[in-house]
Amino acid sequence: AELRGWNIHVEDYPVSIAMESFMAEVAEKTGGEVTGKIYHNGVLGSQPDAIEQIRLGVIDFGEFSLGPMGQSIPETNVVSLPFIFKSIPQMYKLMDGEVGEAIGKGMIAKGIVPLGWYDAGARSFYNSVRPINAPSDVEGLKVRVMSNDLFVGMVESMNGNATPMAFGEVYQSIKTGVVDGAENNPPSYESTNHFEVAQYYSLTEHLIIPECLCMSLKTWEKMTPEQQAILKEAGQTSANLQRELWQAREAASMDKVQAGGTTVNKIADKAPFQEAMAPVYDQFLAANPDLVSLVNMIRSAD
Amino acid sequence: MGLTILLLVFGLLVVVGMPVAFAMGIAAASAFWYEGFPMLITFQRATAGVSVFSLLAIPFFVFAGELMLHGGIASRLVKLASALVGHLKGGLAMVNIFSSMLFGGISGSAVADISALGSLLIPVMKERGYRPDFAVNVTVTSSIAGIVIPPSHNMIIFAVAAGGGISVSKLFLAGVIPGILMCVCLAIAAYILSVKHKYPAEPFPGWGEVGRSAADAIPGFITAVIIVGGTLSGVFTVTESGAFGALYALLLTKFYYRSLTWDAFVRAATGAVRTTAMVMILIAFASSFAYLLALYQVPAKLSDLLVSISDNPIIILLMINVILLMLGMIMDMAALILICTPIFLPIAKGLGMDPTQFGIMMLVNLGLGLCTPPVGTCLFVGCAVGKVKIEEALKSIWPFYLAILLALILVTYVPAVSLWLPSLLG
Amino acid sequence: MVGQSSKFLKLQSALDAISRACIIVASVALVILVATFGWLVFGRYVLNATPTWVEQLALLLICYIAFLGAAAGIKEDTHLGVTLFRDMVPTVLQKILIVLIDLTLAAFGAIMLIAGITLMKFGWATLLPMLDIPESFRTLAITSCGGLIFLFAGARGVLRILTFSDWQPSPHELDT
Ligand code: NA
Ligand code: NA
Repeated sequence: AELRGWNIHVEDYPVSIAMESFMAEVAEKTGGEVTGKIYHNGVLGSQPDAIEQIRLGVIDFGEFSLGPMGQSIPETNVVSLPFIFKSIPQMYKLMDGEVGEAIGKGMIAKGIVPLGWYDAGARSFYNSVRPINAPSDVEGLKVRVMSNDLFVGMVESMNGNATPMAFGEVYQSIKTGVVDGAENNPPSYESTNHFEVAQYYSLTEHLIIPECLCMSLKTWEKMTPEQQAILKEAGQTSANLQRELWQAREAASMDKVQAGGTTVNKIADKAPFQEAMAPVYDQFLAANPDLVSLVNMIRSAD
Repeated sequence: MGLTILLLVFGLLVVVGMPVAFAMGIAAASAFWYEGFPMLITFQRATAGVSVFSLLAIPFFVFAGELMLHGGIASRLVKLASALVGHLKGGLAMVNIFSSMLFGGISGSAVADISALGSLLIPVMKERGYRPDFAVNVTVTSSIAGIVIPPSHNMIIFAVAAGGGISVSKLFLAGVIPGILMCVCLAIAAYILSVKHKYPAEPFPGWGEVGRSAADAIPGFITAVIIVGGTLSGVFTVTESGAFGALYALLLTKFYYRSLTWDAFVRAATGAVRTTAMVMILIAFASSFAYLLALYQVPAKLSDLLVSISDNPIIILLMINVILLMLGMIMDMAALILICTPIFLPIAKGLGMDPTQFGIMMLVNLGLGLCTPPVGTCLFVGCAVGKVKIEEALKSIWPFYLAILLALILVTYVPAVSLWLPSLLG
Repeated sequence: MVGQSSKFLKLQSALDAISRACIIVASVALVILVATFGWLVFGRYVLNATPTWVEQLALLLICYIAFLGAAAGIKEDTHLGVTLFRDMVPTVLQKILIVLIDLTLAAFGAIMLIAGITLMKFGWATLLPMLDIPESFRTLAITSCGGLIFLFAGARGVLRILTFSDWQPSPHELDT
């Protein structure tokens, strides 16, 4: 069968390359029984739409951020908690292990089978006003965030002015001062040219939200056990490839924004930021009591 | 096969007179059914197509335009135009064109322009000895300048159809000169015809009258300044500036001009809802339709075809324009922007054309389609307002077609026409 | 243009009332939309606290404006179509085509209604961001649109069949 794959990124993005290599490996190992075509550039719809489509079996596989999945799959929301992972390597380790297992269970219950965890780096704040070194530096800044209670709560708990806004409006809005800044990973900060208008990039690394190569449960159930094993294996191989490509891409983006005159600052002590997030965690855990053990599993890991 | 079903069902339904929006929806549903997709994907795509943040500017622009229309701004603009250009040869034709330039800067809707200005000006023109077909043709062709002069909800539709990444404020700026250029070309055509038919010039009312009518019209014109200026200066996003334009128009017509009655307000709101819904339902089912076009890789295939015919950019752009003109003869603007942008924009980009310039070119081109038979909304409305038979109007419309074609050629092949102003102020 | 008997007229005026109600609800949604954006800008500049629900509420309201307005447009027959080719065939054939279009639209409306209900069930556990209400409230717009189109186009089609010799195909009138 020829599978249909959804991808929002351009053809030469790390995710896109890894997806193509995934499909090539699957085609080869199944002897051409399972092949696929990947529709890049989001021509088959935006991310929330595509998540719905994969659940309905309209598209067979795709690569999603766990962020927008949170609206329909509460388990995936756990990784949208600020500062929940200590580092990218820790995220790899936990997602490839029992944390990924637990989140994956929640996804399968909603019709999505994870095949491999991809890297989307760490998101940090950027703005056109001042470098951020402490939570108090966020105070009063108009910061664009994705439409999600957690991200709004994160900025508000530092007394910032959280402003949900369509992604496409952000560049012009920073440029003209409708908002002061936003937050994102280095490749997005660079490729959207936001670095031209928001010159302070402060490496708060507050959100490490993994992405997922996944398959529609409806498609998955049509596969033989051997094909399923091949898909899982190819998913993991492609995840390893994507992580490597991502690291390289991230470094290239950092070089480019610094050459473009951006002031990048590391955060000497992240503890005050983490402490400021207490209300976000309290509210989330109060609203999702059955996720307490999963949150604790991640937070207590080293 | 799926693609054949999609296009065949669509074509058949359009030919028998099914509203275009639903022809797209039904064609998409048929193709989804053929592909074995769950039927509800048609409607998931349709809902997703409408829930797009940048589209929110459309109801705002339309509402602001309706408020100005029902709140008495059109007559004030005509008065100002009369005072300024009425004394030229063929004075009322010049007034007609100049009013459209001003009105287009507020409403961005050609049909609103024709019904507002046409009902004011065509009877007066007939009275002063202008041939009815001439009066209608001037009204109809000049109304499409309003599509290109900012603000314009069709620019929003283009920006959305292009898949984001195109700045609406840049499109706004890029439309100014082409819009004025269209009006100048039309004015020249009207001037030549006026000399030939010995149409009269009106007496100049004196600078005092110019000043008074300007003072009366300028507060209305500020609606456009708020929308465009608010966006450019960064006080508002495009969407917010649309909302503020509507709020300002409401307060102005209610408290300053005092011409907005409750009835007029209700007419403006319901009128805005009707227009918005008509555009939005097209956008909704166009997104189901476009999903399938993407799935069948139509843009890439068509692009390969065009490029295989010629690799000369001038020829390819000419072909794109001819295709758009032919499609524009049988279909309406919004639907064509939505269907054709994903197909032709990548080709134009491949030729090194700026997407903003491509957008303006497309708007001018499809605007001409609104004045051409067999399907020309503007032509139909203009003939209805001016009580002229369509055949009658068509006999003498060609000089105006030539004028717009000239503007189209300049927009297509001279990037500076659209890109100079944005480069200056962007 | 359709049906003269009092039963038909009663049905007609009921359908008119429903279609007017659609336009009124959509107009109120439009006014709310303008007002919330005023509040959004006021909040961002004056309170320095942007109301975070405006964006998502607006995306919800626009669905109702679009789909309720479109349903009323079916009743009022204001959607843009190409009637040129139809106008060229003999009158009887024109009338048959017009009835077929009504019935096709009604069938499409029914499919829209059923698919909409399925979408609503499917989206019940997905929350709209920032509003924290089920996604089904968004799909309710297209679901009602389907039901209304089924009603408007279906009733008109049936009335046109029942009174087939009493009406004339009129050239498509544009909403000016
Ligand atoms: Na005019
Ligand atoms: Na036309």
